[in-house]
Amino acid sequence: MRSDRLRALNVPYQVAVELGDEGLPVAVNSEATHHALRATHRQTVESVGEIWRIDDEWWRAPIHRRYVEAILEGGKHVVLFEDLMTGEWWMQKP
Amino acid sequence: MDQSLSHPPTSSVAVCVWIPLFALRCEEARRPELASQPGALLAPDASRRVVWQVSPLARHAGVRPGMTVSQAIGLCPALRLCEPDPAHYDERFARLLAALARVSPVVEPAELGLAYVGTDGLEGLYGGPEQIVEAIRLRIAECGLRNRNASAESAIHNPQSAIRVGWGKGKFVAWVAATRAKPGGAFIVHPGEEGKFLASQPVAVLPLDPDAHRRLRQLGLRTLGRLAALPEEAIVSQFGRAGRRWWRLAAGATADPVVGRALPEPISASLTFFTPVADREMLVLALERLIERALRHPRRTGWRVQAVRARAELERAASWLAAATLKDPSADRDHIAAPLKTRLAQAPPAAAVERLVVEFTAFAPGTVELQLFARDASAAARAARRRALRSAVQEITLRLKRPMLYHVIEVQPWSRLPERRYALIDYEP
Repeated sequence: MRSDRLRALNVPYQVAVELGDEGLPVAVNSEATHHALRATHRQTVESVGEIWRIDDEWWRAPIHRRYVEAILEGGKHVVLFEDLMTGEWWMQKP
Repeated sequence: MDQSLSHPPTSSVAVCVWIPLFALRCEEARRPELASQPGALLAPDASRRVVWQVSPLARHAGVRPGMTVSQAIGLCPALRLCEPDPAHYDERFARLLAALARVSPVVEPAELGLAYVGTDGLEGLYGGPEQIVEAIRLRIAECGLRNRNASAESAIHNPQSAIRVGWGKGKFVAWVAATRAKPGGAFIVHPGEEGKFLASQPVAVLPLDPDAHRRLRQLGLRTLGRLAALPEEAIVSQFGRAGRRWWRLAAGATADPVVGRALPEPISASLTFFTPVADREMLVLALERLIERALRHPRRTGWRVQAVRARAELERAASWLAAATLKDPSADRDHIAAPLKTRLAQAPPAAAVERLVVEFTAFAPGTVELQLFARDASAAARAARRRALRSAVQEITLRLKRPMLYHVIEVQPWSRLPERRYALIDYEP
């Protein structure tokens, strides 16, 4: 059965992030259910790239995020962001 | 050059057959649930995905052709977007043309969903204009533009609800009459009434670009009558050569005839073997080469093959014959060769073949390789890719019960939030 619904691509998924002394991610613990990473796997952050902040959509559901571009061990290029409203960390493709 | 092709048949009296939003109607015929929801087709050729044809319900919600997907979804969150299938629309349109050709030999396709039928001399066969129009509508209803789901109601399944027919002298009068007809109805402009009929029509029925339309409005010229009342030279001085054509159309001073296409003569290609051939694989190869050669014949352009015949001259003065009528006319080598190969396997020649001849004996208008809708080579390549995808989807659906194939479309490519930039839409060719 065809749905004709739009499905968002690159939806972020929640991760647990270990922060270093400077408040930047040093390791990422992914959810066991997510297929992109191995189950209950901890990956260290090899390098941190750009850091930026987005504050948007204040007129409906406000978005306040701090983004960190990172290279994980093994060379995977990801974007991590902290939801500044809830303190949760999320990961997605750049 | 073929004499019959250099002088195609013409007709001064025209019937315009118009199915607005033809492509969308074809989709509704395939998926009847679309008819009750706001829907839109994505543009087939645009590099950035924009909306192409919009259903009345979606239009009511503010969606317009040319909008980006994000604009359209923003205005109408329930909008159902469909990937276009140009090959399917062309196929359907070709069937419509074939149905019209059963009423009159003079049929001129103008664009997808719009065709003219020449009716000069048909009065003796059918009667007056009303009877000819009725004959056309009957043929359209019988032509097989029907959904596989017999209970489905759609514009194509029930052509009376979508097709508008206009009758008049020359293509322009017929076209304007069709635009004035109610859905499923006909509007007849009897001989001698063209001037009166045209005078009250809005200038928008002329082939105007938006700028010219705006200028005519600024000049206070809102109807063809007002335009025709001005001196021809005044319009020419303002709008040049295009203005002359508009003035003449508005005044009923020109009546473009319907120009039909002559059916091509049979096309044949033959091969004489150096030594008689009995090997079946060799014969299949020869058959394919001959079909390719016949398909490349200039007379075949714009036509699909409906009936094909293969003849073989055998040793000891014997012969072999295989003929096939294709259910779906085609310009594809493999499609045409398939029934002949089957025949070759089931009832091979009784002796070695000295000479092999392939003949295309009947044709249907249009091609899947798209003479009408998608004219260029890249469009033909896209159609071929789509066919390959369709067969892949059929296989996946057989195994997994769902197509499981998606198409990536841009939604808000400029968004700072990565998850807002692209989306997946079900792909079902």
